[in-house]
Amino acid sequence: MEKEKIEDLLIDYIDGKLSEADRLLVEKELVQNEETYKLYDQLKEVIQLMDKSAKLEPSSKLKAGFDSVLKSELNAAKGTKTIFFQPSFYRVAAAVALLIVGGGIGFLISRQQSNQQAELEAMRKEVEATKLMLMSMLDNQQSASQRVLGANVAYKMENTDDEIITALVKAMNEDTNSNVRLAALDALRKFYQQEHVRKTLIASMATQRDPVVQIALIRLLAEMKEKEIIKELQRITTDEEELPAVKDEAHAALHQLV
Amino acid sequence: MIKSTDLMTDEAIMEAVKDGDLQQMSLLFDRYHKRIFNFLARMTMDRDMAEDLTQNVFMRMIKYRTSYRHGLKFQSWIYQVSRNVFSDHYQANKNKSSNFIDVEKVSDTVADRDETMDQDEREELLHRSLAMLDEEQREVLVLTRFQQLKYEEVAVIMETTVANIKVKVHRAIGQLREHYFELEKI
Repeated sequence: MEKEKIEDLLIDYIDGKLSEADRLLVEKELVQNEETYKLYDQLKEVIQLMDKSAKLEPSSKLKAGFDSVLKSELNAAKGTKTIFFQPSFYRVAAAVALLIVGGGIGFLISRQQSNQQAELEAMRKEVEATKLMLMSMLDNQQSASQRVLGANVAYKMENTDDEIITALVKAMNEDTNSNVRLAALDALRKFYQQEHVRKTLIASMATQRDPVVQIALIRLLAEMKEKEIIKELQRITTDEEELPAVKDEAHAALHQLV
Repeated sequence: MIKSTDLMTDEAIMEAVKDGDLQQMSLLFDRYHKRIFNFLARMTMDRDMAEDLTQNVFMRMIKYRTSYRHGLKFQSWIYQVSRNVFSDHYQANKNKSSNFIDVEKVSDTVADRDETMDQDEREELLHRSLAMLDEEQREVLVLTRFQQLKYEEVAVIMETTVANIKVKVHRAIGQLREHYFELEKI
């Protein structure tokens, strides 16, 4: 029997993974062949040493280091979370509610009066007001939380227009805050069926530098079975500068698409 | 006493972390940091470095928590992240030094300091032989033997087949045996 084959059988024998027939074969060989027995003995020694090897204990430094990292991450996350409890949020929520209620009342009145023209006008005004509000929120350079809210308002809209899409794309590609970029991508995802949104998202793959957005973008486009991104995905997997997590995502997407 | 969180699966905890409950990451740290530290210590043959890299693994998981895929076993993910962290470290250091692992120093740096005095000579030999294997051979042995993971789990972590893992493990054991008994003669 070849040495490699014997070695294979012996390792399985030591691990107790052989069939009855193979086990008997090995035992016969062990009795008859001294060389095989020596090999068995040596393999058993290294295998048992590995299986029984002592577990190493990390120092307390590791736990302390982790606690401090977690604490700073928690603080950072808190900073972005508390925005939702600021009075400005309630003001915006109230404004949205008022717009909806106002729109509803306007709708009822116009209906009662059977005035089609006024009805359309009221709805147009409502959409216009919501749009204005969200555009000014998306443009608020002082507050990232306002810009996130702006993107969230866009997400809740049934319809959109070029101006809003352009503002969302700008936010996704250029905003200095990661949460804003992600919220903008979320909103754009909803309007994915529109050809220019689809094209813009594909184009953004090549320029996007935020790994969190990159990952979300790759996942979205892979989900949508966009074969146009294959080339870009291949670039990412070989680019030294891309983060491993982004590369992993690109690999996974390639699996899905190719 | 059993706490309610003790009953939560790793996957459920990670989903909570992904949804923004970062505090839950400390539960996963408690469950996994020793295993990951041991994996990285055996891979780098350097305890201090292994502690740094273990911390990097958890940092990376917090940072990229949204990339955790629903349905993926958490254990597979943490080992994948650990392999990536080790690989980045290895790549970064490969160019700086041609002899990344100094075999002669292995027993000093890996052995548990408290046990150094009555350390088993055979275990020292084992570590020196392990350091002579190539990275991939060392990795399959660390995962399947030292960490006692099943071939199926290692196949998921290394994104290959169970049959392939078995071949790699057997070859690595064969190589390890050769190195071990060569060193023993010296």
